Amino acid sequence: MADKIHVAVLGYGFMGSTHIDAWQMINGCIVKGVWGRDFSKTKQFAAEKGIRAFPSLNEILDDREIDVVDICTPTYTHAEYAVQALKAGKHVIVEKPMALSLRDADRTIHAADKSGMKLMVAHVLRFFPDYMQVKKMVEEEKIGEICQARAFRGGPFPAWSPWFGDVVKSGGVAVDTAIHDVDFITWISSSTAHRVYAKITRNVNSDSSKYDIAVINIRYGDGLIAFIEASWAHPPSFPFTMKLELDGTKGVIALDNQSPVPISLYTKDANHRYAPESLPWKPMIHPFPLDPFYRELSHFVDCIRRDENPMTDGRVSRRSLEICLAAVKSSEIGKPVNLPLEV
Amino acid sequence: MNATFRVGFLGVAHFHAESYAKALKKIPGCEIVGVYEEDTALGKRFGEEFKIECYRSISELLDKNLDAVIITSENSKHHEHIVQALDNDLHILCEKPMTINIRDAEDVVSRVSKKGVKFQMCYVMRYHTVSILVKELIDSGILGKPILMVGTNKLNRALPLLRNWFTNLSLSGGGAVMDHTVHLADLMRWYTEDEVVEVYTEIGKNVNKAISVEDNFFTTVRFGSGLIGHIDGSWTYASGFYTWGDVTMEIIGTDGAILMDAFRQNVYLIGDKHPGDRLSWSYYGCDPDLEMVRDFKRCIQEDKPPRATAKDGLEGVRISLASYESSKRGEPVQLHQL
Ligand SMILES: NC(=O)c1ccc[n+]([C@@H]2O[C@H](COP(=O)([O-])OP(=O)(O)OC[C@H]3O[C@@H](n4cnc5c(N)ncnc54)[C@H](OP(=O)(O)O)[C@@H]3O)[C@@H](O)[C@H]2O)c1
Repeated sequence: MADKIHVAVLGYGFMGSTHIDAWQMINGCIVKGVWGRDFSKTKQFAAEKGIRAFPSLNEILDDREIDVVDICTPTYTHAEYAVQALKAGKHVIVEKPMALSLRDADRTIHAADKSGMKLMVAHVLRFFPDYMQVKKMVEEEKIGEICQARAFRGGPFPAWSPWFGDVVKSGGVAVDTAIHDVDFITWISSSTAHRVYAKITRNVNSDSSKYDIAVINIRYGDGLIAFIEASWAHPPSFPFTMKLELDGTKGVIALDNQSPVPISLYTKDANHRYAPESLPWKPMIHPFPLDPFYRELSHFVDCIRRDENPMTDGRVSRRSLEICLAAVKSSEIGKPVNLPLEV
Repeated sequence: MNATFRVGFLGVAHFHAESYAKALKKIPGCEIVGVYEEDTALGKRFGEEFKIECYRSISELLDKNLDAVIITSENSKHHEHIVQALDNDLHILCEKPMTINIRDAEDVVSRVSKKGVKFQMCYVMRYHTVSILVKELIDSGILGKPILMVGTNKLNRALPLLRNWFTNLSLSGGGAVMDHTVHLADLMRWYTEDEVVEVYTEIGKNVNKAISVEDNFFTTVRFGSGLIGHIDGSWTYASGFYTWGDVTMEIIGTDGAILMDAFRQNVYLIGDKHPGDRLSWSYYGCDPDLEMVRDFKRCIQEDKPPRATAKDGLEGVRISLASYESSKRGEPVQLHQL
């Protein structure tokens, strides 16, 4: 590998654009180009970012200069693209969820093992400054042993892209969105999930194809219980909100992204609250050492350079996927689901 | 009813007794006649605080030409105290949970129905200005059809330790599940005007290892209409956090959402002992205990049905017991199976 790490990004949507901004802030990384199926849109986007538009995925896979393929396409394509890129000898970072079935997750893990390339799933919550602070406090045993955890993640429907509304493509809110908190809580719990009981309400809004709100109860092997509520059915005026509460033997940790509001702006038209987590991740507003995507991708770069395993590799990420899939199943059958799931 | 409303306390083991006594003092035309409390030291303290007589036996108290009793004894004694008060044709304001088993709860409902007295449950959130306003908002249809209600009614872990009986299974009938399921369950029933048909509960390992009853849990309920509710009534908050505890509810409907934080009207209080002293809250919101006691008197005076009845007490007991059953079985429990 040359001094510089060359990156190609698949997808120029919300995440593709966000990742490219972050990649361009990292020393020693070059975003060589981007690919999407619609070449004219890809070209237009690439021009804005000052990068190349690749006309096909194969051109990326065949490009010997490219070290990293960053997959920011819709979830149902992740496994297929990841396997292809790994087989082509690329390091792969793929947006969460890594796949929509355990079979596809295993296929990806297997391809990574076989190729010897790095595989990281982008569980960005671990790199949010406030969640990092929580992790540090837990490690410092500020609240002793954690016995109960509750998390909320929600806002209006991710209306920028219609495929989220198709459960077959996105996994629905229980897989797509709850997985952030599932991963985080499982990470800090240092235990494994044993049982999942969930309810997923559909049709909260008029569009009947959506899984809308998931309420998920998880029981871990050591007796920790977790409750995660994930929603993309809150009204359009509802700000994107993240909450976490950990109840431990020595105290409580609580986080709410709506309460630290460093800037409130009142104009004749509206009231804008500039809370850090509700802002787009622009370097001007969010200085880059704080930017979670900058930190996330930097971690991956460090792992490549030092030949270390990313903290959210395929196996770690599979655990979270398994819990989310169990939640969907539990909601379907109306019963708790024991883990592990059969593949 | 007597010219002044004459009230006696049957048991003051629950701290709420003090709050209700203070409420009675604020309401014109009320007299606290006396108290009976098995724990004589506690009874004496209560009597001294409110300058009232402390009686040695229940019958002595019930002989004093009372209009009503407030039952704030240990949970396990509620049934016996209710029966005695009914036998004396007294109106009853009963602390939650109404009883600790279904048989007793059904017995209360049937006995009350045969008497011409008022029986009111201390479901205090039906008398809280904030939760009443939420009820009005829901009823106005502004949310469309409610789909989901997620509530917390968490308590500071230090509080149940202040009175030993809370953690004594034979007196309390259980820990956090028994103590703190009913307020949220009742609010949800009140809001939906529907009944819970399925209950699933996970009980977590205790934050307080020194007590033998459970101190935290998550309960998921399904209503007849399909609406989902989630209840967290854990005794897990710590000092400085939310002062004593909270009552919050998120309500999602087809056309909107409400976030309620009923006891959020607070002035911040910051200690001066250490630079890192935690913030605590000094509450200035409405006084639902006062409104509840005031309404109890009004219902008797005007011969109106109380907002929360013995039937509501029974449903609360049913849901709490189903929670234990579900946790034991590791499965959802259908209420009619119990
Ligand atoms: N970490 C987070 O906080 C976070 C937040 C949002 C989303 N995500 C995840 O990031 C991934 C992408 O989400 P997004 O919101 O960025 O999606 P998006 O805005 O819809 O963008 C998807 C992009 O993928 C391209 N694409 C390539 N192959 C495709 C195919 N076979 N089908 C459809 N589109 C294809 C699309 O362009 P063409 O149509 O031209 O192909 C488009 O540029 C998802 O897995 C999502 O779960 C993560």
